[in-house]
Amino acid sequence: MTFPFRKTLLSASVSLAALFAGAAVMAQEAVFVLNTSEVGAPTYNPIKATNLNKATTLIFDRLVSQAADLSYHPWLAESWEEAPDGMAWTFHLKKGVKFHNGEPFNANTVKEWLELFKASENAYMTEAVAEVQVIDDATVKFVMSRPEPNLLYNLSSSYMSVIEPKSYKELGDNYGVTEVYGTGPFKLESFAIGQETVLTRNDDYTWGSPLSKNTGPAKIAKITFREIAEDSTAFLELKTGGVDMLLGVPADLIGEVKKEANLAVLTMPGQDVYYMPINVTKPPFDDIKVREAAAKAINQEEILASVFGGIGSVADTFLISALPEGHVPDADKIHYDPVRANALLDEAGWKMGANGVREKDGQPLKVSLWTQSDSIFRRLTEVVQAQLKAVGIEAEITTFDSSMIRDQYKTGEQQLAVRSYNWDNADIVDWFFGGDRLGYPNVSMFNDPKAEELRAKAMTGSKNMEERVANFTAYHDYVLTQFPMAPIYQPVDAVAYNADHLVLPDTINAPGIGPVAIMDMEVKE
Amino acid sequence: MSAAAPIRALRRPSGGVAGLWLALVALAAVAAPLLTPYAYDVQALREAYQAPSAAHWLGTDEFGRDLLTRLIYGARTSLSVSATAIAISVACGMVLGAAAAWFGGWFDRAVTVVVDLTWSFPEILIALILVAIIGPGTTGTMIAISVAYLAQFTRLTRAQIMTLKGETFIEAARSLGAGNAHILLRHLLPNALAPVLVSAMLATGDAIILEATLGFFGLGAQPPTPSWGGMMSAGSALVFKAPWIIIFPGLTVAITVIAINLYGDALIAALDIRAKLRRAA
Amino acid sequence: MTSWLIRRILLLVPVFLAVSVVIFLILHFIPGDPIDNLLKVGSSPQARAEMEARYGLDRPLPVQYGIWLGKVLHGDLGTAIVARRPVADLIAQALPHSLALGGLALLFSSAMGVMLGVIAALNRDRWPDRLIMGGVLAGSTMPSFWLGLILMLVFSVGLGWFPISGARGWTSLVLPVLTIGLGGTALVARITRVSMIEASARDFVMLLHAKGLSPLRIQLAHVLRHALIPVVTILALRIGWILGGAVTVEVVFARPGLGTLLIKSLSQHDYPVVQACLLMLAMAVMLGTLLGDILQALMDPRVRAAMA
Repeated sequence: MTFPFRKTLLSASVSLAALFAGAAVMAQEAVFVLNTSEVGAPTYNPIKATNLNKATTLIFDRLVSQAADLSYHPWLAESWEEAPDGMAWTFHLKKGVKFHNGEPFNANTVKEWLELFKASENAYMTEAVAEVQVIDDATVKFVMSRPEPNLLYNLSSSYMSVIEPKSYKELGDNYGVTEVYGTGPFKLESFAIGQETVLTRNDDYTWGSPLSKNTGPAKIAKITFREIAEDSTAFLELKTGGVDMLLGVPADLIGEVKKEANLAVLTMPGQDVYYMPINVTKPPFDDIKVREAAAKAINQEEILASVFGGIGSVADTFLISALPEGHVPDADKIHYDPVRANALLDEAGWKMGANGVREKDGQPLKVSLWTQSDSIFRRLTEVVQAQLKAVGIEAEITTFDSSMIRDQYKTGEQQLAVRSYNWDNADIVDWFFGGDRLGYPNVSMFNDPKAEELRAKAMTGSKNMEERVANFTAYHDYVLTQFPMAPIYQPVDAVAYNADHLVLPDTINAPGIGPVAIMDMEVKE
Repeated sequence: MSAAAPIRALRRPSGGVAGLWLALVALAAVAAPLLTPYAYDVQALREAYQAPSAAHWLGTDEFGRDLLTRLIYGARTSLSVSATAIAISVACGMVLGAAAAWFGGWFDRAVTVVVDLTWSFPEILIALILVAIIGPGTTGTMIAISVAYLAQFTRLTRAQIMTLKGETFIEAARSLGAGNAHILLRHLLPNALAPVLVSAMLATGDAIILEATLGFFGLGAQPPTPSWGGMMSAGSALVFKAPWIIIFPGLTVAITVIAINLYGDALIAALDIRAKLRRAA
Repeated sequence: MTSWLIRRILLLVPVFLAVSVVIFLILHFIPGDPIDNLLKVGSSPQARAEMEARYGLDRPLPVQYGIWLGKVLHGDLGTAIVARRPVADLIAQALPHSLALGGLALLFSSAMGVMLGVIAALNRDRWPDRLIMGGVLAGSTMPSFWLGLILMLVFSVGLGWFPISGARGWTSLVLPVLTIGLGGTALVARITRVSMIEASARDFVMLLHAKGLSPLRIQLAHVLRHALIPVVTILALRIGWILGGAVTVEVVFARPGLGTLLIKSLSQHDYPVVQACLLMLAMAVMLGTLLGDILQALMDPRVRAAMA
């Protein structure tokens, strides 16, 4: 009788000890903090989600992986061929791959998976695929309705993470919320929205992307992804040892991280662009001169130096500089030019008034400037406000909750705003300036016939990658000359980690910190 | 309320010190441009994050603006928003409370139920919901704060009038043929005024904290207009880099609210209305 | 007594209905639409209509209200539109955190407040009284988010005693409980002090003194018992604070809880979640007022007489 009692007492004290240990990190377990822009992502359903966090990329694999030089490499697809006319793609799949629930991954999986995209949030990803043919168990053929040079990019995107179709259909809306099954190196243990996600290692995993040294299973046994909305709180957690890695560190905190002996920063080329959309339909910005003046009033260098501590680079087009479509003629790039800004405003009839605000027909040049509640946006926007004031534009700031501001844009009432996006493909120009998406994402309400023509050509009229680059460059260039936005800043992609706890691989052959890096990561015992 | 009471309150030591601080803050708010060589909205980005020094007594903020200057101008926003909000709240609360007490019946019961329920709801939640409806900015916070405190003044006025209603001088007035309106306006409300005004003063202290909290959520005065809460909101993200940005506004709020409470207590003692206030709590 | 209690509880029914109407309607005044958050960009009007039909947002308001109330009465709080999971799950996730934080903070401020109030009352107008009342006043005038950040800076960053944020183990509760508890202490201490002083002046205390009981025993055994009634009443009336008042502290310490859930879903216009949160709070408040009324009735001899 005494023995079982002592056992329970013992286990009770053990669990009590675990409770007291609190956030202490045990062997091969790590706590990561998600980037603030990923906080509150409601689901791990890649087909229906519009915001997926980093943990998604560990639960699922993709057919294709992308290297640091943006070239494409095998993953669940061992090899592929494109038909010379671009109207068909054949993929040869890896054998022996299993989902977390034991279901096999094969050609039928791919066919069923692609069908699920129809009429989903992310349908455009597979829009050009007319039909998926199963050739044999390990071979599929995509029959295309038009050439899609961007297909490999789409297949390497986290939105095209390969899901398990059977459980997907059974679980319905619960897929990605209560349960989720992929083929990835980690399985979902628990998910509390807005708080934390716990992943445990998939010990059967042997099919990792060849871009990492370790193709499976992962070295870390358990990863907790915490969601912390405020960057400074996350930084303090890292500093005091509460967490091991921050998956996104804003530039103004990088200097603080470097001051700490036990912390290290790893920077990679970023995929974000900060910019100021200008609503082309709202006076005074229906006048292109006023738009150009506002755009050229923005002192990107000063913002880089003061708001972002000199880390990252200025943005002078709408695209990240790694993309070839960003190479537009120098004259069309948008730079700070206060002389031109003032001259243009004079020309447009806005004369400098006594109190430093320009006037026309007795009306002051007063506009609204919208921003979101994150502290970095509020700080950046205040600087933008002061820079506009310097050329005589008085901007009134209105702050909206980050999750609410998209609804606000849909009203079309905005004049100026400060925002950012994260994407590494030129089709983002189509996303934010397409005439059929006025309000949001087309915050600038830009709907120009010539732009629409160039856009259609870029989106659907390109037979191969070269043509696509040329078409998108032309479209992007034309958009810049109409000044529907002012580019501001390109951050670097920075992660900060506790070097006493974590060992990161020397080289990471991927565009960002993701599964390729995490597969090679180790916890110091 | 006798006119001498506010002066008498100053004669008590705590009331005197508190009154002095409040006068100082109010004076600073009014005379802001005369007191500081800096502008509250001109950025000097090269001088950002400077610790307190001879040039900037309380340091500079993330845009290189003088913190003391912003604190002084911030007093304008924070004090005027809180005081106006409470004034609206008092005016509406007195009307509602007096009407409920006077008319009685189902109207009184309905008002009581509604008021009791909202009084039991955290003010911050009421204010946050209202700002979500009205939109952020000084007007939004002002309305939100006044609604959040409406219940308190309605309760208080109602309780005052209920007690007064039974007193002999009211009976006397009525027997002399005074009308309803006459009794309510000439006898009941003036007698209920002192406790309501004193508790309004104390509530202004709470309202300053509430305004700061809304500012912390980014919903108060919009930049570059300074408010104490807005300054702390920006400072909260920089707490390890430039702690003075958040420490000084917080101290200012705390000291001001303490001063309001001490002066209010002194006023209660000077007016001798402690019992009246307690009955309504 | 029973009939009074039954009448009092029956009175809650119309109040509950009125509250539910207000809660239901208030959300429809907030600009913005949860469907906007949910629809993919560039969707057709049909897709929008379908989505609205799916969440019942296409029906007239009274019908929507009727359906909602019917479900709520059956214990079905609906499905979150943006968070895409049963609202009951979200609340079940948040509620324990709120109860732990609010409950402990209440415990802390009651214990501290009563203790300090008693000490202050026993030393009325002498220096311990002044010190305590000054201290609790200072504690209650600091904005809670500010106090929380300062405590975090000192105890978590400086001394490393407690974790910075989150809800992981009991250590993460210490600073949030202190932050909220210090504010509440002032209220409890003030009421305790005043009612102690008042109670000591009452006839029965004179009688006890005349009987020759030791003054300290009189104070602690008899006076305190009487003095605690208004304290408990006030605390019961302010029960909403336990569940929802912690929102700023939750935000500062990145803790989950009902307040955070409410604010988050409010900004996302996630109607079902906001409605459910407000309803939970309102019900807690109603129970609190009921409790307060009963206590008041029990201590007021006139009411007691009327009930007998």
